Amino acid sequence: MIDSLLSPAGPTSFMNGPQLWFANRGTGFVLLLLLTLATMLGVLSTARMSPRRWPRMLTQGLHRNVSMLAVTFLAAHVATAVADTFVDIAWYNAFVPGTGTYKPLWLGLGALGLDLLIAVCATSLLRHRMSHRPWRAIHAAAYAAWGLGLVHGLQMGTDAGSPWGAALSYGCIAVVLAAVLARLGLLLRPKLVTS
Amino acid sequence: MSVHTLRVDWPSCQAHGLCAEILPEIVSLDQWGYPIVHEPVSGQVLDMARNAVKACPTLALRLTQAPKRH
Amino acid sequence: MTAVTTVLPISPQGSPASVTAPLPLVRSDVRMDPVVTQGPALLAGITAGPGLEAHRHRVGPAARPSADELAGWARAVDLRGRGGAGFPAAIKLVSAHRRRAVVVVNAAEGEPASRKDAALMALAPHVVLDGAAAVAHGLGTREVHVVVPSELPSVRAGVAEALRERVRAGERVKWQLHDAAASFVAGQASAVLELLAGRENLPVTTWEPATISGHRRRPTLLSNAETYAQLGHLARVGPHGYAAHGTAAEPGTTLVTLRGDGWDPSVREVAYGTPLADILTRSEMGQPLLVGGYHGTWLKPAQMQALALSRADIAEAGATLGAGVLLPLTAGWCPLVRTEALVDYLARQSARRCGPCRNGLPALAGALGDLVHRGGRVGPVAELCGLVAGRGACAHPDGTARLVTSMLTRFPEEVDLHSLGECRGGGQEVFG
Repeated sequence: MIDSLLSPAGPTSFMNGPQLWFANRGTGFVLLLLLTLATMLGVLSTARMSPRRWPRMLTQGLHRNVSMLAVTFLAAHVATAVADTFVDIAWYNAFVPGTGTYKPLWLGLGALGLDLLIAVCATSLLRHRMSHRPWRAIHAAAYAAWGLGLVHGLQMGTDAGSPWGAALSYGCIAVVLAAVLARLGLLLRPKLVTS
Repeated sequence: MSVHTLRVDWPSCQAHGLCAEILPEIVSLDQWGYPIVHEPVSGQVLDMARNAVKACPTLALRLTQAPKRH
Repeated sequence: MTAVTTVLPISPQGSPASVTAPLPLVRSDVRMDPVVTQGPALLAGITAGPGLEAHRHRVGPAARPSADELAGWARAVDLRGRGGAGFPAAIKLVSAHRRRAVVVVNAAEGEPASRKDAALMALAPHVVLDGAAAVAHGLGTREVHVVVPSELPSVRAGVAEALRERVRAGERVKWQLHDAAASFVAGQASAVLELLAGRENLPVTTWEPATISGHRRRPTLLSNAETYAQLGHLARVGPHGYAAHGTAAEPGTTLVTLRGDGWDPSVREVAYGTPLADILTRSEMGQPLLVGGYHGTWLKPAQMQALALSRADIAEAGATLGAGVLLPLTAGWCPLVRTEALVDYLARQSARRCGPCRNGLPALAGALGDLVHRGGRVGPVAELCGLVAGRGACAHPDGTARLVTSMLTRFPEEVDLHSLGECRGGGQEVFG
């Protein structure tokens, strides 16, 4: 089995076998979960709703760490898609929307989402060196990136049709919707914690 | 030893309160959640003060060398 | 100096009502025309009208000292800003004397009890503008901004006309006129710079003084309108001429607004060192006096008897002249009731940008209201004063706390009485 995995060409080689495709789908779903979690934590960071004995720093720290983890999974998601030779996806298709040959529209949405996340990530690493308002404006693009990623995943993959895939997708949509409503002040009026 | 002042950009401050968590030695919160800076920053507290400045969600903190005016 | 001039209508409302009518609560919407008296220096030419020709006829051509010369003279006569903070003008001049400076004349005068800047801009605009032009020339700049209150359209029209006259006369200054919002904090320095930048006319945190980095990050000399009038007068007559009025320690004159928010306001030019008894009526000398305006300090009659209008004297008495506002308490009224009405107004004038002010001032007004009208305790009031001071982008909460603290310090017996639910003064029916 190892021999067949390592041989460069051939019908069951690693590069065009199902393993990379599974990895790509897997990283895609985990990415959706992580981005959903990151969005929820981000909103909780602003709402100043911290239960007693839960430091506010912890929420902010979790948001940052979960986001960084999501970026790692995003890199893996792109790498597995590019490496997989079963479908022809070039590395630059992941960054330039619309240049792909395989499902260009839905792939392009994913690429757009990735571009936005790069901007969000870069500005956040340099947050204390830039002015707050422009940082906030760019950071708001994270919501759009999430939406683009969701649609990309629903259209590119086949798992969304399955019961667990659908449940996961609906669950993530519900969480982000609640987060957005809370951010707009329409849900869960945030209270100030007295320390 | 250099003495710095932790100054708050009041229109930006939204009472998130992270500064009071990071710097309990010199920052406490009033009844509405806004920071009260009790003393200047020096020596050992300086590093934590820099962390507080970086951590503020609205970048409402600055470390200045000049003493507070007003 | 005895000629009395009724000011050109500068208020949106008409003529003064009968003085027997009840004093208005803090009403910034009803502003009576102040009676402005001719003065020895700044207000010397008001009887000849506000026109440029009459002004030139009286004072001659505009003076053009260098910045160093003017700063030296300003230091010699210890010229202070007239906007309330009393900052030495010489220091600002020297600090702003760098490339591409900007001059800003602040006549916004947000305080309802101060009418002197409006009087100057309406009756003697060229006295102010000469000063601004002299400073601009000294700093090597042509850019001068003039900020007037938007709620006094006749003042604005007068200033606009005065600027047109100067341009027609060939003066090489690029004048720009701006309208300040009709609010208390609109005249605050950083709020004015925000207005000039095209943003909302509200205060922001300043990390550097305006003379270092102000309008468009350029060195900006922002001063009160009367300060420019003083500088212009100084530029013309020099330090010796300037010292013709006032005392050796405090040369010069200053504009004072009396009863500014009442039914019979007046603006007078007063030489430093003038006894208070020569400024106030006998009846007013027997009443508590609020010095410095709504952010000012109370003085008791006992402190006032030997007091002269001198910065040193007033400081020794524990007060500051501020923008020259003198508010005698109406006979028979209670200083606590008056203060509470002022604090209620000041709380509503918060820009609502800074948490401690937005929350703290209404809380202070509430606690003070409890103390004054509902037999409450002093503790919460004093605590809130300490909580709001120094925690905002501007000095609005500090000034309000100063007013309340001075009330607690000067009138302890009245405070005790009110804690028991009693009051020996009146005014409740108007203020309450």
